[in-house]
Amino acid sequence: MRIVLLSSIVPFINGGARFIVEWLEEKLIEAGHQVERFYLPFTDDPNEILHQIAAWRLMDLTQWCDRVICFRPPAYVVDHPNKVLWFIHHIRTFYDLWDTPYRGMPDDAEHRAIRDNLRALDTRAIAESRAVFTNSQVVADRLKAFNGLDATPLYPPIYQPERFTHEGYGDEIVAISRLEPHKRQALMIEAMQYVKTPVKLRLAGTASSPEYGRQLIKMTRDLGLQDRVILEDRWISEDEKAQMLKTALAVAYLPKDEDSYGYPSLEGAHARKAIVTTTDSGGVLELVEHGRNGLISEPDPRDLAQQFDRLHADRQAVAAMGQASMDRLTEMKIDWGTVVERLTS
Amino acid sequence: MKVLVVNNAAPFQRGGAEELADHLVRRLNATPGVQSELVRVPFTWEPAERLIEEMLIARGLRLPNVDRVIGLKFPAYLIPHHDKVLWLLHQFRQAYDLSEAGQSHLDFDETGRSVKAAIRAADNACFADCRRIYCNSPVTQNRLMKFNGVASEVLYPPLNDGELFTGGDYGDYVFAGGRVAAGKRQHLLIEALALLPNGPRLIIAGPPENEAYADRLRRLVEDLGLKDRVDLRFGFHPRKDIARWANNALACAYLPFDEDSVGYVTMEAFAAGKPVLTVTDSGGLLEIVSEDTGAVADPTPAALAEALDRLTSDRGRALSRGETARDLWRNKNVTWEATVRRLLD
Repeated sequence: MRIVLLSSIVPFINGGARFIVEWLEEKLIEAGHQVERFYLPFTDDPNEILHQIAAWRLMDLTQWCDRVICFRPPAYVVDHPNKVLWFIHHIRTFYDLWDTPYRGMPDDAEHRAIRDNLRALDTRAIAESRAVFTNSQVVADRLKAFNGLDATPLYPPIYQPERFTHEGYGDEIVAISRLEPHKRQALMIEAMQYVKTPVKLRLAGTASSPEYGRQLIKMTRDLGLQDRVILEDRWISEDEKAQMLKTALAVAYLPKDEDSYGYPSLEGAHARKAIVTTTDSGGVLELVEHGRNGLISEPDPRDLAQQFDRLHADRQAVAAMGQASMDRLTEMKIDWGTVVERLTS
Repeated sequence: MKVLVVNNAAPFQRGGAEELADHLVRRLNATPGVQSELVRVPFTWEPAERLIEEMLIARGLRLPNVDRVIGLKFPAYLIPHHDKVLWLLHQFRQAYDLSEAGQSHLDFDETGRSVKAAIRAADNACFADCRRIYCNSPVTQNRLMKFNGVASEVLYPPLNDGELFTGGDYGDYVFAGGRVAAGKRQHLLIEALALLPNGPRLIIAGPPENEAYADRLRRLVEDLGLKDRVDLRFGFHPRKDIARWANNALACAYLPFDEDSVGYVTMEAFAAGKPVLTVTDSGGLLEIVSEDTGAVADPTPAALAEALDRLTSDRGRALSRGETARDLWRNKNVTWEATVRRLLD
């Protein structure tokens, strides 16, 4: 099949939104398809949004390919009789973030008009598609709530999961991701002052701002936790990541209200580790079941400390949860074979 | 500086313009202080009225987070940006010289003529806003002046792998590289060779445009009894092989009809220090190919045979014209370094 992958980008900004497209491209080619990827620039500046979407709407790919797979907004407005969506998120400021401090624009007649137009045209364009998949249940629920449309979660796997292996359980709870406030590394450090076992915490990743990086270092020092908290504010290569996870006791991933389960959880699961998360982490809760493949804590340092201790104290339970982590991926069909099959059927 | 290169794309099709765009981005990224990325906009040019929508698409898009845009083709170069440089490979020729020559699909009816006027208006508005306009050849430059009254500078696209064309021995054959097509007139070369019983050998190597023309050449060689002297190598060849054939040739031959630019085949021959045989109606080549750097004949077998004999019967003459060709090309300083410098100016 000739397949066009279409998504929007901000030029020179790389990240997860591109990776998922490029990983899928590789897998589709492996499956014998002809694939062409198009990234077109898009800015979500409210004053520029509607005429840009009108431009995307004029695009007609009908004669060029058998199917279009659309990702970030507004790729799905393009004209093609066979469009399939792997919907990652809305332009959230006009949806679930509208009634929050993150709206970033005035709640006045003009902006409400833009919002209502956007929602109406999203609903119409998404409804034209042959199938709508989302990257999580959270996003599927949002499509239902705001656009009245049904969608099926199609969980994104990580790239080359076989890189992650398992070599027993050491003392470290490992949390590898960007260091940023909403990923709550600070909460994990705070928890470490209350643990009773010799459990350790390793936080690794690039800080989103130098300020937050410094803050975490200072916090570790002020609480006298230098010997129990290992903090690495730098880019972690994929090899290093695999190395750190191999002998970890468990992984921790507790973002504040995230849409999807997050790649750090999956990486942990492939390394057969239990996943520690919190009750308000959003999509991670689709993956983690308390006591089975991980532990779900209150977003509170004392409670989190107890979960850390519980893991360190019972290696047998840790091993069982690690295996269950891996099994959970099979259960949820988080693998590239499933993704390719569903997006091309 | 963040430099975005914008080009059109016909999905699943690749040619010289795509190679050039990719190479340009690579060279820009190799320049200190420069980050570059390519954006390709899918382009559908038929039916005629479709072109209006294609222009609206380009005009409706936005390019956030970009310091400098380098536009290569219509209509992608219409995307608005405050700091835009054009490197025109050609205009949309159906609205210009092909229309004048009676070969445009935009002259069939009133709609087509309106579309043509709209293209010219959009072009003129865009050209007026550009920081600088370069053309890939004097032919493109002259057309731009003639049809749009816009002055521009010539900026030849350098060879993407110029380092391969080092020159070598002067062997006993003439090399004719490039696409094998009726418009490139390889048949004339074979017919000329038949008139020179003691002339050189000939190697023709390149992908045939269609099997009919390839057959015609095979039959011609057979019928003229030239099997020992003409080597037909149809197909895509590794660049190393092309370079080896050029580097060891006594001379090169290239007979396109009214080409826009000097052409890669000519540039490769000149870089390798080989004189080039061409014809009086070959267009862009005549800017550099003359009796000093090769030989120029009327496009008839007899005239070509005479020119071929002039060029190859005296090795010393071939060598000295080859040297002149090499010097002339070097002095033009068509290098990626100089090209990138001018595009970033």
